[in-house]
Amino acid sequence: MTQSESYLDICTVCVKKAVALGAEWCDVDAGATRDISVTIEKSGIKAADAGQGEDLAIRVYVRGGMGYAAVSGRDKKDVDEAVARAVALAKEATPDPDFQRLPAPDPAPEVDGLYDDAVAGMGVEDVVRIAVSNIQAAKALVGDVNLSGSVGLSVGEGALATSTGIALEARGTSIEAVFEALIRRGDDTGYYYDFDFGRFREDTSLDRVSEEAVRGALRFMGAKRIASGRMALVLGPLASYGLLGAIVSAANAESVQRGRSYLVGKLGRKIASDKLTIVDNGLVPRGMRSGAHDGEGTRRHPLTIIEGGALASLLHNSYTAGKAGTKSTGHGTHSGGISPTNLYPALGHETSAEILRDVKEGIYLESGEIRPDPASGDISASIDFGFYVRDGQIVHPVESAMLGGSVLDLLPRLDAVSSDARLEPGAVMPTIRIQDVQVAGAEG
Amino acid sequence: MEDLARYVCDQARKRGATFADVRTVHRRAESILVQDGRADKLSAGVDRGIGVRVLVGRCWGFASADSLEKARATQCLDDALALARASEQFVTDPAMIAHVAPIQAEDRREPEIPPAAMPVRDKIARLLEYERAGRAEGGRAIVNSLVSYSDGQREEVLANTAGTLIKTTSSRAVCTCLMVAGDGAMLQRGVENRGIAGGAEILKRTTPEELGQRAARKALELLRAKPAPAGRFTVIFHPSITGLLVHEALGHNAEADAVWAGESILENRLGDLLAAAGVSIYDDSSIPGEFGSYGYDSEGTPSRRRTIIDNGKLVGFLHSLETAAKFSAEPTGSARAESYDCRPIPRMTNTFMGRGTVPFEKMIGGLDRGIYLEDGHWGYVFVQKGQFICHAGRAHMIEGGRLGEPLRNVSISSMTLDTLKHIDAVGDDFEMRMPGMCGKQGQSAATDCGGPHVRVQEVVVGGQGGE
Repeated sequence: MTQSESYLDICTVCVKKAVALGAEWCDVDAGATRDISVTIEKSGIKAADAGQGEDLAIRVYVRGGMGYAAVSGRDKKDVDEAVARAVALAKEATPDPDFQRLPAPDPAPEVDGLYDDAVAGMGVEDVVRIAVSNIQAAKALVGDVNLSGSVGLSVGEGALATSTGIALEARGTSIEAVFEALIRRGDDTGYYYDFDFGRFREDTSLDRVSEEAVRGALRFMGAKRIASGRMALVLGPLASYGLLGAIVSAANAESVQRGRSYLVGKLGRKIASDKLTIVDNGLVPRGMRSGAHDGEGTRRHPLTIIEGGALASLLHNSYTAGKAGTKSTGHGTHSGGISPTNLYPALGHETSAEILRDVKEGIYLESGEIRPDPASGDISASIDFGFYVRDGQIVHPVESAMLGGSVLDLLPRLDAVSSDARLEPGAVMPTIRIQDVQVAGAEG
Repeated sequence: MEDLARYVCDQARKRGATFADVRTVHRRAESILVQDGRADKLSAGVDRGIGVRVLVGRCWGFASADSLEKARATQCLDDALALARASEQFVTDPAMIAHVAPIQAEDRREPEIPPAAMPVRDKIARLLEYERAGRAEGGRAIVNSLVSYSDGQREEVLANTAGTLIKTTSSRAVCTCLMVAGDGAMLQRGVENRGIAGGAEILKRTTPEELGQRAARKALELLRAKPAPAGRFTVIFHPSITGLLVHEALGHNAEADAVWAGESILENRLGDLLAAAGVSIYDDSSIPGEFGSYGYDSEGTPSRRRTIIDNGKLVGFLHSLETAAKFSAEPTGSARAESYDCRPIPRMTNTFMGRGTVPFEKMIGGLDRGIYLEDGHWGYVFVQKGQFICHAGRAHMIEGGRLGEPLRNVSISSMTLDTLKHIDAVGDDFEMRMPGMCGKQGQSAATDCGGPHVRVQEVVVGGQGGE
């Protein structure tokens, strides 16, 4: 193996070697990444890091049993050992009659806008400049803000070859900035964060991310406890994206086929109010999770997961599709998993301001982790960054409060999706409202 | 690898670094997934590379490569020096490093059964035993069973410009069993896991009863459980929840980088009485075989036990060489890097509350109404606000001084400093069995946590029903 070999050459050679060793089905993924990041602490530069790496992963099936081996670098001995190990492990695995086959070639032009020469050409000085701009912007708003965070970029290329004849190459870039602002005034603390990311430099506003973090920190000062009760829950763009993403992830066909998901038996049935429609689209130009093919080489197509409140589709890889006698939806990962791509909830007719205005009593959750239990669908979550709302007005931030319920009880009570949304490359994040949610507070 | 690490350190010194350290890491790992009676996913991984960290003037630079070739190592040094120099003028809090005596040592921690010494088929056979035990316990109610196992060995060489050269070999193994039970109307999960700083001997030591059967019993019990109520309660924490409390609520706040950065609620609180009398909290990386243990940290400081809270008083933080210098404190051996491509940062290891004096029966006997939280699953914390969240896999109502009806999984949330003060009973028992991977700044570290049963007043329980 030499430096002049392309990653596709390397993958193709490894596939041949694996087949010669007894692999019945095989695919190999290889590539390289280069990263630069700058860390910000106490409103100054803390450190600058850079990394370069090459990875190769081989997946082998023998009588349906799967062996997988990954190796860093391109040392020939290591790579040959990985190939042999993957084949040996596949032979040790229990035969699985549910495995049908790996995907066949289905060429498609690559999605536009995955690689930006401007990002690829950036050096540490450019990343430092973005970090310094953010520090200055934050201090201009609040002089003694304690700002922390990071600015980083990644440039990658890779290839996939399979024993079925798939031969794909791709490359991509990404750049992001994440900032956390902390403001202390006596015993009072305001803390919040914001971020921006994209594949293209021009799709981002990285120089002023810290301003929103600082404004958020100011908004979250003066938090108070609230009493327990049932009330409306309004999820802002970040909070709604987290919840809707978790629900789409639960539409993983393997979890459903194995009988361990709260979505078992729900395909084609209503699980939410008719206000909710979510499309997964891996073909969005410049989308962070975009690509013409999934990690197994299956061609992607837009897929409606929830339509008018009904669970319209599950996310399949080649294994689950073969087991179900259907086609893969293009959500396979190379290691055998299933993952959503870019999520596009259908927008509604009311603005986010109107959705909040109609709340008599409730919580506005700006950001927070609402993770339904993958089996039961139960939710028991902290109101990490939330406000108490009365008569359509935000009254104050809340402290030490939680919310509980079952996702299958809450989704039918979703009564509004906003017409406006936070837009990020490959993500639409609306505001949504759910009525009659149990809130637990520390007051009273 | 030693020669390469020494060479890069020498070059770093010659080229103007005030301090530099070089780590080479070679890791091998294998994992097995047994599901529904089949070993259907077997994986292996090999990973090796070098990380070079330099202190130039007032700033850190760090670069890594997935190769142990001299040319790539030299390129890492070039990059690290350039990164530090490009950033130095914007540093407001100059980097520092504690001066400690150099150590030359070799620390080989050979497991009882090295990962490679047990054939894969034998490991699979044992995992199938765990699974069968769970399925036998749960009968037809078990709809999905999953047993995962992974083990790995790590060889590391650390050299620094102070003259330290340490070669370590370590291994870890972890085994997890998930049983999903259903009754036609609802699904529930039961999980058990074990982890050690060691090798495949974990499979000899762990019985099918304690892994498979226990996971199945938990899932079955949850099918009969009711949703937890919502509101503020007096609660009793099982040791696994006590572990989450000390790890999430206190431990992350005691990591000295967060304190120095002004982000931790423990800033300027050293010496203050922060917890109830009788509460003592420790972090100990030197416990033989514990999941979070090691011989030397990633900067070459020997492992040791550190006291964070002593009888209610905050007495110490978890330090790296940098934070020790900034606080004029002793390094505590708490700097950990996940692999060669990560900078060492202060981390927890095995974190626990010390045993108290109150028997469980007395703790619960004095409680007219409350909730007993068991089976710690996960948690997280906002150190800046001092707010933490812990998730219990199951719970029980406490009524009239006795355990009442079972409750489903539920989370709690509270403010760290309030909770530490609201502890009014520390149990005379102890358990530390929460092996897991803790995340911080994009790095994972093997940790464990535990303690005795404790009783805490005024905790918010995020249940589904009104109180």
